[in-house]
Amino acid sequence: MKELFPLKQVNGFVFSLLLTVVALSVYFMDMSFSLGMTILLVTAFIQAIVQFVLFMHAGETDDKRTIYTTLYYSALIALVTIFGSLLAMVWDM
Amino acid sequence: MKIDHSQPLEYSTHKNEMNILGFWIFLGAEIMLFATLFTSYFIYENRVGNGPSGAEIFEITPVLIETVVLLTSSFTIGLAINAMRLNRPKAMLWFLGITLILGATFLSVEIYEFVHYYHVGATLQTSAFTGILLTTLGTHGAHVTFGLFWGIAIFLQIKKHGLTPETANKSFNYSLYWHFLDVMWIFIFSFIYLKGMM
Repeated sequence: MKELFPLKQVNGFVFSLLLTVVALSVYFMDMSFSLGMTILLVTAFIQAIVQFVLFMHAGETDDKRTIYTTLYYSALIALVTIFGSLLAMVWDM
Repeated sequence: MKIDHSQPLEYSTHKNEMNILGFWIFLGAEIMLFATLFTSYFIYENRVGNGPSGAEIFEITPVLIETVVLLTSSFTIGLAINAMRLNRPKAMLWFLGITLILGATFLSVEIYEFVHYYHVGATLQTSAFTGILLTTLGTHGAHVTFGLFWGIAIFLQIKKHGLTPETANKSFNYSLYWHFLDVMWIFIFSFIYLKGMM
C-alpha cells in the first residue's frame, strides 16, 4: 500500500495545495494590486513547475533535453505574445 | 518490436519514445494556444460595455471547488502512473477511476457556473469581456471533456488488454495531458478569477 503513495508525489500535492492557499490570500486579504499580482505570478509559475517536473516526469528520461527545449520555447512564445500585446495595446507604450 | 527493459514500460520501444516526445511537442503548441486566449482576455478584460464585470459575476465557492478537485485529480493520475510503473494494473485502474470521477465533478461545477453566468446576463454576445471569458473557460472545459472520454477509453483498454507497452504508453501520454490541463487551470484561477476578484 505504501509504495502506491510515494513521498515525492504526496509532498508535491501538499505543496500545490499550499500554493493555492497563498494565492487565495489576494482574495481574502486587503492588499495593493501590484503586491497581489506579484503573489499570483510567483505562486502560479511555481505551481506550473511542480506539475511539470514532479508529476509529468519532465527531467527523468533520455529525451529530457528535447522536452525542456520544447517547454522553454513555447513558454517564451507565450510570454512574448502576452506581454508584447499588453505593451502595445493596454499599457500604451 | 524491440523492448528495452531498462526503461519504464511506456518508454520501452522506439515508437513509444517518439510518441511521448511528440506529445510533449503537442503540449508546447497547446501552451501557445492558451497564450493567445490569455492575450485576448487581458486586452478585453475591461471592455465590459453594458454587461457585468468580472468582479460582479465571479463566485469564489465554485471556483475553489473546481481548483481543489482538479488539483486532486492531477495528484491521483500521478499515482496511477506510479502504480503502472510498479506493474499494479488494479491499483492503477482505481486511481484512474478516481481521476475520471473528479474530472466529471469539475465539469459539473463548471456547467453550473456557465448556467449562473447565463442567468446574470453574461453570455457570449454580451460584451468583449464576457465573450473572451467564456471562450477561454470553454476551451479549457472542452479539453477536460475530451480528456474525460479519452480517460474512459484508456480505462477500458487496460481492463481488456492489461499493461502492455502500448497501453502503458497511451496512459502516460494521457497523464501528461491531464497534468497539463491542471497547469492551465492554475493560470485561469490566478489570472482570471483571483485577479478579477482582487
